[in-house]
Amino acid sequence: MSLCTTRKHLLDLAEPALGASGFAVFAALACCTFFSLPAFSYPEFQEFVEKHSHKTVNCAMCHTNENGPVGEGKGQIGSLSPDEMKRLNSARGALEAGQNVDSPILNKFGNEIIKAVGKKKFVQLKSDPSKLFDALPGKSDLDGDGIPDAQEYMDGTDTLNKFHGDPGKLFFVNLSRYKLHIVLAIIAVLSLNFGLLHLVKGISILQSKKGD
Amino acid sequence: MIDLDKAAHKVSGFLSERIPVEKLNFHSMVEKKEVPIHKMSWGYYTGGLTMFFFMIQVVTGLFLLFYYQPTVSDAHVSVEYISHHVAGGALIRNMHAWSSSCMIFCAMVHLLTAFAMKSFEKPREITWIAGVLLLFITFTFGFTGYLLPWNQIAVNATKVGLQSVEYVGQYLPGQLADVPRILRETFQGEASVGQSTLGRFYALHVVILPLLLASLLGLHLLMVQLHGMSQGVDKPAKKAEKFISIFVFKDLSLWATVFLALFVVALCIPFDSFLPFPLLAPFNALGSTPQGIKPEWYFFFVYYPLELLPFWVILLASMIAVTVMIFAPWIFKGTSRRTLGFITLSASVYLVVMTVFGEQIYEFFKH
Amino acid sequence: MIDTLLFVALPYLALFVGIFGSIYRIRTAPLTYSSLSSQFLENKGLMWGSLPWHIGITIILAAHIIAFLFPGLWQSIVSHQQVLHAIESIGLCLSILCLLGLIVLGLRRLTSPKLQAVTTTMDLVIIMLLLLQVGLGAAMAVHCKWGSAWCSGTTTPYVWSIITFQPDVSYINEMPLLVKAHIVGAWLFILAIPFSRLIHMFAVPVEYLFRPPQNVVWTNSRKLESQDQAFVKEEARRHFLWAFSGIALGGFLLSIGTFRNVFSFFFGPRLERKVETELMETRLSRLESTVGQRKLELERQASNYILVGKLTDLNESNGKYFIDFSMQPAIAFKGKDEMPLLISAKCTHLGCTVGNKVDDKGRILCPCHVSYFDIVSGEPNAEAPAKAPLPHLGWVIMDEKGSVLATRDSKGKSQGSVSAEQRESARVYIAKNQEETT
Repeated sequence: MSLCTTRKHLLDLAEPALGASGFAVFAALACCTFFSLPAFSYPEFQEFVEKHSHKTVNCAMCHTNENGPVGEGKGQIGSLSPDEMKRLNSARGALEAGQNVDSPILNKFGNEIIKAVGKKKFVQLKSDPSKLFDALPGKSDLDGDGIPDAQEYMDGTDTLNKFHGDPGKLFFVNLSRYKLHIVLAIIAVLSLNFGLLHLVKGISILQSKKGD
Repeated sequence: MIDLDKAAHKVSGFLSERIPVEKLNFHSMVEKKEVPIHKMSWGYYTGGLTMFFFMIQVVTGLFLLFYYQPTVSDAHVSVEYISHHVAGGALIRNMHAWSSSCMIFCAMVHLLTAFAMKSFEKPREITWIAGVLLLFITFTFGFTGYLLPWNQIAVNATKVGLQSVEYVGQYLPGQLADVPRILRETFQGEASVGQSTLGRFYALHVVILPLLLASLLGLHLLMVQLHGMSQGVDKPAKKAEKFISIFVFKDLSLWATVFLALFVVALCIPFDSFLPFPLLAPFNALGSTPQGIKPEWYFFFVYYPLELLPFWVILLASMIAVTVMIFAPWIFKGTSRRTLGFITLSASVYLVVMTVFGEQIYEFFKH
Repeated sequence: MIDTLLFVALPYLALFVGIFGSIYRIRTAPLTYSSLSSQFLENKGLMWGSLPWHIGITIILAAHIIAFLFPGLWQSIVSHQQVLHAIESIGLCLSILCLLGLIVLGLRRLTSPKLQAVTTTMDLVIIMLLLLQVGLGAAMAVHCKWGSAWCSGTTTPYVWSIITFQPDVSYINEMPLLVKAHIVGAWLFILAIPFSRLIHMFAVPVEYLFRPPQNVVWTNSRKLESQDQAFVKEEARRHFLWAFSGIALGGFLLSIGTFRNVFSFFFGPRLERKVETELMETRLSRLESTVGQRKLELERQASNYILVGKLTDLNESNGKYFIDFSMQPAIAFKGKDEMPLLISAKCTHLGCTVGNKVDDKGRILCPCHVSYFDIVSGEPNAEAPAKAPLPHLGWVIMDEKGSVLATRDSKGKSQGSVSAEQRESARVYIAKNQEETT
């Protein structure tokens, strides 16, 4: 029995008296281990990114739910409405690249990967996750932080948060983006400083002469 | 029989030497004030710089107050709202985060330079003790502020920090063993870190600690102004520059440069980018704890040793360090500045190595 | 026809006469190549008139010249909305300043008897023309706004077309009358330079900017006493002037840089519908999870028993998570004796949630700092950073009617039993008053 169906069986047997809160407990906790290997998720990519970037990442890199696609929580297969199931099945059918995908278990980046690469090739890339970097479009930058998604994948940073990225890269991107503001700020602060210094000097000259 | 007259005379003599109110006039405090010029003169700027960063914290903090909501369901959303939607919000939040690290760094440098320059020497003991208390308040600011975004790292790091308070209990006898737990639950406000904790940490960070710091800072600055700048080196410096206007010029120019550097860094590097993104997700009380939970960098010097050595060693070392810091004016009364410099250098080496390489040291010994 | 006259013939005439006429005048009548200052005749009015006029017109003319000479750079500067706003508003303020200065200058020429003796008709004509030209400029700033932006596509290429001898009036012939009048006025001024005091534009004493400051030293007894104080006042005044300019420039730049953001900050964001909806959905989901949490807390507050699960659902190797009475995570296993084994899942090291998978040595793992806990004894392994064992929890087994079949307290003391028939419907609970093993 796969883990997916075991959980479903358990939930079928769960008492009605449990109530919604109990479901929340089961849903949240039942999927929160590091060592489950549910179907339809690809931990090879997570392992590669963690090893390459020396940063911890979780399933939220590509999936809606940070604990992955299997389970009863939000964005997981067990909790999908019929409409969402339809979307999921349609996304699963996107074997070739180029199809617009809107899977409810994938976030924007996950959908972008399937659109760029196609499900078939994506599964092949399991054996060498580093090749996903080349397969992704070089110009795609979903969060608009100036670092391409493919590079953020290699760096282990959040592709959907414009305030998250490799600090060094972000520094240079933003330095270029805000150069006018920086130059004007430098001029403003230095001239204010200049003005204040002369003000103090003027006052001290008047004071010292008065003292004499 | 205690001679009350003699005792009163002694106390008043002690106080009048430490608090020279006769110098509370324009001539002594402004016109005549001088700053010695010697090889440690750069240390005279560190206190002002710390205060400058505090002023930035107050201003940016006031702006953040307008949008931050201290409830467990809204805290994280409100911080994201500030960063993503409010005009200038991301910059203000980043300046607040960067400036907090800068303030703590400068406070430590100020402590070390003041110690090395023997600034705690008579009659500046009150200044020194107020300064040590200010340092503790600054660290508490960092600890309480860190919880407010209510993300995974914030809550879990606070849990870890507060848990270590409870650990002291195992060394206390009998009924006293329960005291640390009671203390911890008082800080927390409830059995585990939750809404009560957030509420009181918010009150501490926004009202209580600023008031405390402002009053102690007022005392600290008054003492500095009354006593003037300390000698700093063993042989009194031959040269001195006027406080107004030369020193003030250099101080203001330093503040301007530092502000620009802070502005550029806060504009270009989001503080959150140094953390792995799972730690930035909103705290989930019913979920698992993500990997990589650790306190802010300024606690590394005590965190990694805590991971490596038995708890009692760290507890003892901390108690000794705190006692030595508070009573330094009396412990090191007869110590030469050369020796003090050596102690400061060793302490600095330890702090730098443990902060920068602490994680590698921990990995090396654990695996 | 009239457009060709005013915008092709007039410019070339003005440029020719303006340039060659000025050269001729400078060479043949050099003493007239000056501003012919009237300061010694009337000082106060000159200050109130000349300073605002010259400050205003210098900046305005400089901006016009930069816009004409460097159109690419100018366009990139005014492409920032805040900069454009700033330039337009400063321009309008300066033109008002110029007008006020010109009015003072004009009035003084008309009312002061000493000045009337040296005022020529041309002086008065020039003042009137200047009033008209600056007035037209101010009117344009109000009625034909954003001139600093639209000049790049109209007047600038027109002027370049004149200078490069490829006159092209099509750039400006559709422009409003105000603009056309202003352009004509400009050419008329260039024409008038050699014939009026406007020639002093070329005699600006630029070297004064770099000349070291000079103090007049009086040696008569009357002034000698106040000499020192005068020196001090002069020196302090110089510093105050620098201070004022520095603070003004810095303050000005900071205000235009931050004003919009500061205002927007306090005004608050006005989000698009889609973004606002997403934000509200996020807020709602967070509230819902807090509600779920509070429900759990309420359940634990109000009830004496919390259901863990059915006895038959428990597994020896795969634990079932639940929340205990102190809202801490815990795991339920099936013990070797076929009865439940409940253990806390809060790592005794630093509080992480321990995993629920039992390895082949009968241990569960806390992944944070790698501590293994034996599920039967709760003890951590020797190398673990956790030193204290995971406490066990007591349990109560009830049938579907709620009758207690068996209990075990946290210390392991059991009571009662569950028969094979009762197993199917038996349910495992934790009870409020059972203490944990320490």
